[in-house]
Amino acid sequence: MTSNDSPLAPKAPPDKLLLGPAAARLKGLGLTAGVVCLVIAIVWGVALGDDMRRFFHSYLFAFTYFLSFALGALFYVIIHHLVGATWSVTSRRLAEIVTGAFPALFVIMLGLAVPLLLGSKSLYLWMDHDVVASDHILHAKAGYLNAPFFAIRMLIYFAVWIGLSRYFMKGSVDQDQSGDPAISQRLRARSGPATIAYALTTAWAGFDLLMSLYPHWFSTIFGVYYFAGCAISVYCILALMSFALQRSGRLVSAISVEHYHDMGKMANAFTLFWAYIGFSQFMLIWAANIPEESTFFRPRMFTEWKWMSLALILLHFVVPFVGMMSRHVKRNPPFLAAWAVYMLMVHALDLFWIVMPAYSPDKMVVHPMDFLCLVGVGGLCLFGALAAAGNVKLLAVRDPRLEASLRFVNQ
Amino acid sequence: MSSPAEATEYFQHVTDTVCDIVERPWRRMPKAWYVALAISLCGAGLLLISLTKLVLTGIGIWGNNNTEGWAWDITNFVFWIGIGHAGTLISAILFLMRQKWRTSINRAAEAMTIFAVICAGIFPLFHTGRPWFAAYWLLPLPNDMSIWPQFRSPLMWDVFAVSTYLTISALFWYVGLVPDLATLRDRFVARGLNVRAAIYGALALGWRGSARQWHRFEKAYLILAALSTPLVLSVHSVVSFDFAVGQTPGWHTTIFPPYFVAGAIFSGFAMVLTLMIPARYLFGLKEIVRVDHIEAMCKILLATSMMVGFAYGTEFFIAWYSGNPYEQFTFLNRAFGPFAWAYWTMVTCNVIVPQAFWFKRCRTNPYIIVFLCILVNIGMWFERFVIIATSLTRTWIPSSWHYYQPTFWDISTLIGSFGLFFTLFLLFMRFLPAVAMFEVKFASDHAHAGPATAHH
Amino acid sequence: MEKDQVDMDPNRLLPAGSEDVFYGLVAEYDSPGSLVLAAEQVRDAGYEQWDSHSPFPVHGIDPAMGIRPTILPILVFAGGITGTALAILMQWWMNAWEWHWVASGKPYFSLPQQIPIAFELTVLLAGFTTFFGMWGLNKLPQVWHPLFKRDRFLRATNDGFFISVESKDPKFDRAATERLLRDAGATAIEEVHYTTSTDLRTVPRPILGFILATSVLAMVPFAFIAKWRTTHSTEPHHYIVPDMDFQVSRRPQSESSIFPDERASRTGVDGTVARGELRDDDHFYHGLVDGKWASTFPPQIELSERTIRRGQQRFTIYCTPCHGQAGQGNGMIQVRALAVGAAATGWVQPTNLVDTAAQANPTRQPHGQLFNTISNGIRTMPAYKSQIPEEDRWAIVMYLRALQRSRNASIEDVPPSKRPTIR
Repeated sequence: MTSNDSPLAPKAPPDKLLLGPAAARLKGLGLTAGVVCLVIAIVWGVALGDDMRRFFHSYLFAFTYFLSFALGALFYVIIHHLVGATWSVTSRRLAEIVTGAFPALFVIMLGLAVPLLLGSKSLYLWMDHDVVASDHILHAKAGYLNAPFFAIRMLIYFAVWIGLSRYFMKGSVDQDQSGDPAISQRLRARSGPATIAYALTTAWAGFDLLMSLYPHWFSTIFGVYYFAGCAISVYCILALMSFALQRSGRLVSAISVEHYHDMGKMANAFTLFWAYIGFSQFMLIWAANIPEESTFFRPRMFTEWKWMSLALILLHFVVPFVGMMSRHVKRNPPFLAAWAVYMLMVHALDLFWIVMPAYSPDKMVVHPMDFLCLVGVGGLCLFGALAAAGNVKLLAVRDPRLEASLRFVNQ
Repeated sequence: MSSPAEATEYFQHVTDTVCDIVERPWRRMPKAWYVALAISLCGAGLLLISLTKLVLTGIGIWGNNNTEGWAWDITNFVFWIGIGHAGTLISAILFLMRQKWRTSINRAAEAMTIFAVICAGIFPLFHTGRPWFAAYWLLPLPNDMSIWPQFRSPLMWDVFAVSTYLTISALFWYVGLVPDLATLRDRFVARGLNVRAAIYGALALGWRGSARQWHRFEKAYLILAALSTPLVLSVHSVVSFDFAVGQTPGWHTTIFPPYFVAGAIFSGFAMVLTLMIPARYLFGLKEIVRVDHIEAMCKILLATSMMVGFAYGTEFFIAWYSGNPYEQFTFLNRAFGPFAWAYWTMVTCNVIVPQAFWFKRCRTNPYIIVFLCILVNIGMWFERFVIIATSLTRTWIPSSWHYYQPTFWDISTLIGSFGLFFTLFLLFMRFLPAVAMFEVKFASDHAHAGPATAHH
Repeated sequence: MEKDQVDMDPNRLLPAGSEDVFYGLVAEYDSPGSLVLAAEQVRDAGYEQWDSHSPFPVHGIDPAMGIRPTILPILVFAGGITGTALAILMQWWMNAWEWHWVASGKPYFSLPQQIPIAFELTVLLAGFTTFFGMWGLNKLPQVWHPLFKRDRFLRATNDGFFISVESKDPKFDRAATERLLRDAGATAIEEVHYTTSTDLRTVPRPILGFILATSVLAMVPFAFIAKWRTTHSTEPHHYIVPDMDFQVSRRPQSESSIFPDERASRTGVDGTVARGELRDDDHFYHGLVDGKWASTFPPQIELSERTIRRGQQRFTIYCTPCHGQAGQGNGMIQVRALAVGAAATGWVQPTNLVDTAAQANPTRQPHGQLFNTISNGIRTMPAYKSQIPEEDRWAIVMYLRALQRSRNASIEDVPPSKRPTIR
């Protein structure tokens, strides 16, 4: 019973729609911070003398964290086209810009090729031939968990992701010039197969990158669990980006309180979804109590990691779900932006909780290298996304549904 | 912006079209309705006979055996609950997503949900053999030995989930009905039909369309929709927990909850389409339940079919990846064992058949849609049957391996449940407004008719 | 009966004892838009006892009327939280406190397994609060209302839009209010009257009768149940479900017509061994090695003091009644038998297990033979294999050996440190 638009609404006055020189500054910042932090992290990793185990785990953690941003953004774009959404038109360009980080992420992913080429078990146990030879289970899985196939799969995933993000971005940017509604039709028609490709690649990337850290373990829902985190992060990132851009005087009237409200609603909904998926995974494994499955949760329940598990339940679900429930919070951009920052931090906690027990099953260890890798990978992604975006407008100015989106009203 | 006259005419037209089905004299009801009612009453009678026979004789009249302790009974239960989910999806989730096209079908879909849940509830209740004890033992009351129910069991969670689902769906449905019942009341009053006016009036609680009341009404509607959405996810997840919480190969897999929910929405939408397409023809609802609404439902069908297919693929892959020989055997057994015929029916009907909906022609041709939707429902029934039968007939110990064949009473109970469902639905169509009139009017463009205001 | 139409004729005859009350004015508008505009006017004019009516919620009517947001969401939140607390409390109390029992090795209070029901009860109570709260706040059911007296108002649930202003509003003035409503665009304005005669506003008799009849009939099943629970009968029980109560399956020790010997209890099928019953380890299960009594303990048995202590405990339970605490054959049963003079009737004393001079001389028997005696009995001693598992029988044998050694030991067998303790 809500109405999407009211009879008379103000048209958006001309907005600042370009990043302008700020883009170059941000790119420089990103690249510098990225390279410097990663170099320090690499050197430190070598100095630790543990065959770079610490480094690669931090690196993987940071990589999958920022990958989830890009994947979330790609999801946002594809779903927007698939359902013909109105409200998200004004923020879709921002999401498209975030998906421009895929090439940078590809380069970062190549860093994982090092243990792969060396056959080292610094990161994935199954990359080491001796380990596989002596382990019956890994031997049985060697048809899938082997370095060449892993590399091929990574190439396929990134080919699909880069392909999709480029395709939708290009269509969107072309429409800026031509205003051709047929472009929207075409993108919508393609979004169906795109969803399928996205779902398969994201789920299997989750299996390959994260689940194979525990090569004896398996969980059919793991890909969906990773996806849930991606989905939460995109709404938070968009809220944050919108807020920051509006503070700098851009997109001031394009993104209204109504849009923030919806971003908040979706973030809240996906927080619930994440909790649902996480709980399903946990409770089923806990209830059946089969040793080959419960190995994943053992360290997370009975060692120091249990504190992080409890923290995750409380901070990643209870607090944000209740805190963002009220419409007053969702309709208040500074509040929502603060919550977005908070959610992105606990999302990092979630990925840390997935990755790090592979490095240290008994002791909960946080190391400065984790932060270095975060800043490093994040900086490079920022650089990559801005570089790919070029001088594109921050709003899909000639999208046929832009008017309706600007006038959009929540209940 | 339409003129007030056009708007009034449209509102009147909606009211007339929808109320006519309830108001028209019996002789003007379509013959097809009578025929359908007669057939479904036979089915309902068959159900009554089957359940009576069951209660008098025992579960032995079904084909269940060792180790196939669950068979058609639980298949039917999950099948019917799944069908119910589409109604809630249409009412609640599409409402939250502000999809206006839902207004033409949501009333019938919610009714379908309630009837489907009633049919579903019959099976777990009667498969206990002595339901008068079971109902008592399942409630949080101390039993004969002062023992309380075992809350750690998913079967107990089912009790709470299904009863909550039935209750909330009924409340939600009733809330939405009240303004339309008031419409019917007033029309009967205008025509001097006092008995009917009194009955509908009592049910309408004296609704008078007050804006202050509409305000709270809308809030309640929104809250119930917001509650129903996680509820529907939770109910089918709890049903999936019946299987996944155990250690049985083929059952114990973490993707079951969302996979079951997607499958439920899938089969539910197929049933909605199967019901609404003939209904719109028979009762002249073509301008209210439009072709683009039908198309949207077909697209959702396609999307959920892909989700189900994704789950099939993931399960199969992880079964191999896990290296667990029992899990691997279970999946090979599904595809090539004694129930392979059921498995391939399932895959064909659930994954391959809905691919037709990529094509607009298939999405807009009512005969094709109804035919494909029936196939989808068959496929989804087989999905639950395959899950149950293949895992139970090929359990851990080969000496326990068995086969399962349904008996006459298994089949008659299932057919009977369809009879009950359609009887209830046909009666609903006759006695209650089948389309949410106030929602259709509210969602239409005519709701903005008249001088533009400065508001918003 | 209740359809008497009130018109505006002041000379209309009223039923005796009733009074005409002027409720207020109701004005009709031709579109949602004009309703909203009119509402704004009425709101701005400061009226409070008024309302607008429409067949569906009109966009923008809430702010136009100055309707404040309802407190329903807060009530619902409270209801939901109550549901959560109730569910957790109920499950904790019933499964972990009042009657706790272990199910599949899970803790008494298994929070992960309580979450589904907690969620459902949260939703259920929140839903009830929403439903009853909304109707309560709306003061419905309110089946009668003065506005229903106007025929024109019937359109409010169809395609008409109305504003009603009550006469009890402080700002109400018959002429001024009508002028305001008309200027705001009303297409028709009517007075609403009703009579205070209670006759016309009571529940009609047929409905009352129906409610009464159903209530009484509803009590009937409970009355029957109460009667059955409190009375006794010498008549046989009625079997409503005969096939459940009298089943075709046979009970143990009963007869069966399908076998020649007419027994329902059958022995195992020839040539088959039940799972877990193979018992092919002769040494362990029968005390035999190569067909002769074993003189060693089976490898499964741990040769340790722990086994001996276990054997001592088991010996004390099973053997001492006859054989006595020291294995000398003077257990309580022997004492009792002598006291009642059983020796005269051929009573045989239980074997002295530790005396090397005893006739049967268990001290010379190999371990396997002792094991066999415990398992299968001998003379008047019954077989204990159904009561004592194999491990425990071997433990008893080990203890027996220790006991025999202790009864036939010399001072040299005692460790020097313990010699002073011997009296």
